Amino acid sequence: MKGRFYIQGTAAISPQESFSGEFTPQLLTLADKNLLRVKEPDYRAFIAPNSLRRMSRVLKMGLTTAIRCLQNSGVAVPDAIITGTGKGSLHDTERFLHDIRRYSETALNPTPFIQSTYNSVNGLVALQVQCTEYNNTFVHRGFSFEHALLDAMMLLSEGRAGNVLAGAFDEMSDEYFYIRSRIGSWKEQLTQPEEMFTAGTPGALSGEGSAFFVLSSTPSDVHIAGLKMLYKPSQERVHETLEAFLRQHGLQPSDIGLLISGRSGDTNFDHYYHALTAQYFPQTPEVPFKQLCGEYDTAASFALWLAVERMRKEELRHVLIYNQFFGEQHTFILLGR
Amino acid sequence: MAERVFITGIGMISAIGSNVMENLRSLRLQQTGLGYTKFIDTIHRNTLPVAEVPQSTPELAAMAGMEGTAGYTRTALLGLVAMQESLQSAGIADATALPAAFINASTVGGMCDTEQVYFDILDPSKEGTFLQFIDTLDCADCTQRIADAVGINEYVATISTACSSSANALMYGARMIRQGLVQRAVCGGTEALTRFTMNGFNSLKNIDKQFCRPFDQHRNGLNLGEGAAYLVLESESLVRERGARVLAELSGWCNTNEAFHPTAPSPEGDGAYGAMKNALAMSGRSAEDVQYVNVHGTATLNNDASEGKALERLFGGNVPKFSSTKPFTGHTLAAAGAIEAIYAVLSIDQQMIFPNLNFSEKMEELNIVPETQLLEEYPVRNVISNSFGFGGNNASLVISKYEG
Repeated sequence: MKGRFYIQGTAAISPQESFSGEFTPQLLTLADKNLLRVKEPDYRAFIAPNSLRRMSRVLKMGLTTAIRCLQNSGVAVPDAIITGTGKGSLHDTERFLHDIRRYSETALNPTPFIQSTYNSVNGLVALQVQCTEYNNTFVHRGFSFEHALLDAMMLLSEGRAGNVLAGAFDEMSDEYFYIRSRIGSWKEQLTQPEEMFTAGTPGALSGEGSAFFVLSSTPSDVHIAGLKMLYKPSQERVHETLEAFLRQHGLQPSDIGLLISGRSGDTNFDHYYHALTAQYFPQTPEVPFKQLCGEYDTAASFALWLAVERMRKEELRHVLIYNQFFGEQHTFILLGR
Repeated sequence: MAERVFITGIGMISAIGSNVMENLRSLRLQQTGLGYTKFIDTIHRNTLPVAEVPQSTPELAAMAGMEGTAGYTRTALLGLVAMQESLQSAGIADATALPAAFINASTVGGMCDTEQVYFDILDPSKEGTFLQFIDTLDCADCTQRIADAVGINEYVATISTACSSSANALMYGARMIRQGLVQRAVCGGTEALTRFTMNGFNSLKNIDKQFCRPFDQHRNGLNLGEGAAYLVLESESLVRERGARVLAELSGWCNTNEAFHPTAPSPEGDGAYGAMKNALAMSGRSAEDVQYVNVHGTATLNNDASEGKALERLFGGNVPKFSSTKPFTGHTLAAAGAIEAIYAVLSIDQQMIFPNLNFSEKMEELNIVPETQLLEEYPVRNVISNSFGFGGNNASLVISKYEG
């Protein structure tokens, strides 16, 4: 799809100090497990106390990021709210599963069930800003955020919205961390972010985060020029698709001033990045981002947030984000100014 | 000018039939799918009615041609059965021949199977085949299993907006076609009954211990159901190019949010009214052009009151025939929008209006009553299909007779 989809404002809660103030990337020191946890801001400035008490972790995180993003964009009420989340509220899903067992299916508190619904953050954002327009939630692993973006881009292209709030959120629970460790998703030995690319071991460092964007057709300093998703591709197809994608936008690989890549130090899947950079971007500055936020379904939302940060500070004309999630969902996001 | 979007194939499985023809037969014979669960391990098995697909999970695997393969949840298998029928119905022998989208909908993914092994997965002392269900915890698993089985890979997505999920999947696929991203999108949803959702809705006191009574004064909640349904959407140009048979046109749609309450609609049905009104405007039809509304009609106290108000607001004194088919299929959550979209196609194709079962007394807050008889040879040209859900997510579709 062609067009320019301008980013009016952003907000992110991540394992970095990304929510307020000047952003300086910092490598965390992990104490006990290969999990980068978000630095949670004080939610009281964003959510009323009686609501805050009931809300579970990712709901607070998602809602607060969304509200902050609207503030940063100078938009009171967006014309659409679209999110992506791979796993929704894991804490609520787990709590309801445990409650069913613990209380033998009797006298259950419905709150975790309601909050486990994947669209609950969307509903809360709509409620808080009184947005009665378009509202959608995508729940497809490494495509969740990208489909939220595509939906936003289509709405703008259809002329059905002026400002679209699009974002993503995912949390990691101790329980789900353990579950995924049983199928080798994470590195076995405690590995620090600063050594993740040199450890040479299978598995990623787990992460979490939330990032939101207001997109519109009104020009601003950074825009999304293109988005491409690839499902379970071969290495050849990744390369063919990249070539076609750049050509479609009238670009050569050498026009890309910065490549933001999703490499995670996972020896099972990092070959996709190695092959792509070797063939197309040998001279291009490459910035990986998962040492900052860890691996999660919607980690590309942090990459987009990071790309906007960089483009606001540096003279970069074209930035490309390439990310893949455990080899299955591959995505390219092309940014321009 | 964006292209028109046509429905060229339909496939489904529900408690009242394992394909479209069986569903139609049960609708005509007014045979409900409501009963009690054979397969869910729950203390509510004899007290809370459900509309369960009668086939066991191994039987579904055999129907889907997946006998003996591991890792397919009931959610994925229901979906695969419906997907295969929808492609066949559209005359598509090889789904890989053309870049297409698969837009699926799910509320709890493979929970039906994972909830049975969840505490084994958490127990480090246990090893076994249950580990293959780890990835089925999310909503994308069933989508990918179905996509992989039929070879659709250009766009693969899963939507989860509670009870409006598959109506939103249809909208999203239709919009991708109008944008020219693809010429074909197979859209719908799949939902298997789970102990998790039964207890969820029961904890909300939203389940009727009797068979549900939509739009009745004495309605007392919903009954859950399971099933899957997919519609093949194609662009007008692809339809012409391959000489496809057109079943109906998806002529209008709208998605709104109530911004009222996490689990309850506004009393005046603002979201429902807005969704229907805008979907109709998009379709270029007026209120007088609508012959039938397949209402969301869950039979919860709130939904029917607010949806009924919205109908009265939109149609004034001339509310068209309307009925809820949930007393046949139960509330199939993520699959409901697609199942009912197919019923809308059937209503147009068969010139038939399906009865609202279990109705006896008009609601005191409304002046309208649902259609309780099977109407045949009824001239149906435009149908509105409603799906409303938690989080205030509302979706309405307009499905129209194909007139060339």
